[in-house]
Amino acid sequence: MALIELENINKTYNNGQPLHVLKGIDLQIEKGEFVSIMGASGSGKSTLLNILGILDNYDTGTYHLDGKLIKDLSEKQAAQYRNQMIGFIFQSFNLIGFKTAVENVELPLYYQGVSRKERHTRAMEYLEKMGLTQWATHFPNEMSGGQRQRVAIARALITSPSIILADEPTGALDSKTSVEVMQLLKELNKNDGMTIIVVTHESGVANEADKIIHIKDGIIGNIEENRQHTAWSGPMVK
Amino acid sequence: MRFDRDTLRELLDSILRNRSRSILTGFGVFWGVFMLMLLVGGGKGLKELMEKNFEGFAQNTCIVFANTTSQPYMGFRKGRTWNMTYTDVDRVRNSVAELETVTPLVSEWGKSASRGTFTAQGSLKGVMPDYCMIETPKLIYGRYINDMDISGERKVCVMGKKLYAQLFPEGGDPCGQRISIDGIYYQVIGVDANEGNMSIQGRADETFTIPITTLRKAYNTGDVIHLLCFTAKEGIAMSDVIPRVRSILSHAHYIAPNDRQAMELINTQLIFGIVDNLFRGINFLIWLIGVGTLLAGGIGVSNIMMVSVRERTSEIGIRRAIGATPRMILSQIISESVLLTMVSGLAGIVFSVGILAVVELAMTEDGILKAAFQVPFWTAFGAALLLTVLGVLAGLAPSLRAMRIKPVDAMRDE
Repeated sequence: MALIELENINKTYNNGQPLHVLKGIDLQIEKGEFVSIMGASGSGKSTLLNILGILDNYDTGTYHLDGKLIKDLSEKQAAQYRNQMIGFIFQSFNLIGFKTAVENVELPLYYQGVSRKERHTRAMEYLEKMGLTQWATHFPNEMSGGQRQRVAIARALITSPSIILADEPTGALDSKTSVEVMQLLKELNKNDGMTIIVVTHESGVANEADKIIHIKDGIIGNIEENRQHTAWSGPMVK
Repeated sequence: MRFDRDTLRELLDSILRNRSRSILTGFGVFWGVFMLMLLVGGGKGLKELMEKNFEGFAQNTCIVFANTTSQPYMGFRKGRTWNMTYTDVDRVRNSVAELETVTPLVSEWGKSASRGTFTAQGSLKGVMPDYCMIETPKLIYGRYINDMDISGERKVCVMGKKLYAQLFPEGGDPCGQRISIDGIYYQVIGVDANEGNMSIQGRADETFTIPITTLRKAYNTGDVIHLLCFTAKEGIAMSDVIPRVRSILSHAHYIAPNDRQAMELINTQLIFGIVDNLFRGINFLIWLIGVGTLLAGGIGVSNIMMVSVRERTSEIGIRRAIGATPRMILSQIISESVLLTMVSGLAGIVFSVGILAVVELAMTEDGILKAAFQVPFWTAFGAALLLTVLGVLAGLAPSLRAMRIKPVDAMRDE
């Protein structure tokens, strides 16, 4: 069984006019894959990401994550699954402003009830991996965008999740740091075998992945194998 | 919910992040508690000061004065002067079984006393031994008037505190020494330290108390008594007894039964009742104002927490996304609210206790506390408990709102 198995996922938003966003998504992602989901805005890629991240419910179909059926979970159960199985990387970093870098990285472990000391040790480990040891006690607003995103990646990794979900991870970064962050994600995938799913609308960013899933109008258009990273020839970020 | 240093740190982080806002919010609660404690302590102290005035005064006493009549009756004209006599004492005592003590009082005003070169001004009170049931003396030296003094018409006196200070400036036990009042020498047998401001026929501390028989003989007062004092037995309402006493005395002295002016009966129970009610009213106001202020502070906390939750939508969303359960968010917001109310409330308690301690210090004279202003421990404890409840209530609505924040909201908030 694949790590992620989506079978005929349907999702309709009922805000005034019913909006059928996902119209039967079938998708399988294996462990260790580096996948990007591409689509224009309104294509349903964010909704798909929310469902993958157990942040949102779907109407019909089934979603198995790591062999577990993710359907109609209680808030508590969903929170625990998110905490243990998923690492999030957001476009706007979403670090907590009044906490230092190391405290931000520690936070998921705090909700697991890990002791303060161990939390700190492990958080420092991951910060070191990101090359941010000397920035550990700095607050997010004292760091550059690239550094902040690296803190966010460390936070995503600290619980050793099954998958990393990145929502436009380079959306708020300049081209140079975008390349660095994508490089970092690639290395994580290659060296640690981490399963990574990146949602983006930039072809250059999508090109960094081994597989590009095009989504259009709520259905999967085509799945492009991209082992050679030849899907895009221009610069990574415009 | 587990609570350790970690959780506390997490809470403090959130509260201290917006320092000035937290302080201003906390001030509302602080002021509420401070006012409540101060008012409670102040009210208690004032009541004690007030009660000090009634010290040594039987609370169920009635005093009868004779006055000029206001109505013609039985052939007598109006405006007639009449007096009570010793016979009236027995009359009342024998006719009204519900009375505990019935005792006469004769007094002489503005007497000067001397001992060697020391002089003092005071009034004389002639009493029976059982007068101590009406005004309880606080004897610091010697004894009170007894039956032997009465029957022997002894020239002995118990003196008030102020007179003692003036006639015996050197202090010490004055018993056995002699003082002169109006040229008559009296042997001092006791000193009464009572300083209640409520007393009959002059302040207790400026009064020489002597046997009624001695006074009668020395000042030729004859059969006349100036006051008739009586107390009712326990469980008897004074107001039930008074009309009977009035009718007995009216009948004996040919006074119109409805002539209120001719005979004044002062019911201290009534006065004490009024004072009691007054303080009950003051107490009620104190609690109303105090609790009201406190409640306003609590609502302030709730309001600010509401704003804070709204402002922290993104933060709470992030927390939810990375694994906080709704329950954890709920308990965090409530705990923040409780912590804020508790810390500022306890500061209020400490501050008010400090102020009251200073007040007590100011009220202390010669190392003796005049009245205790300090709030009792259990009141303070109750206030602390109330604060916790208030904190939980204040945090309830904001935390419920926080709980409804979905992790997706964090990402929308860009």
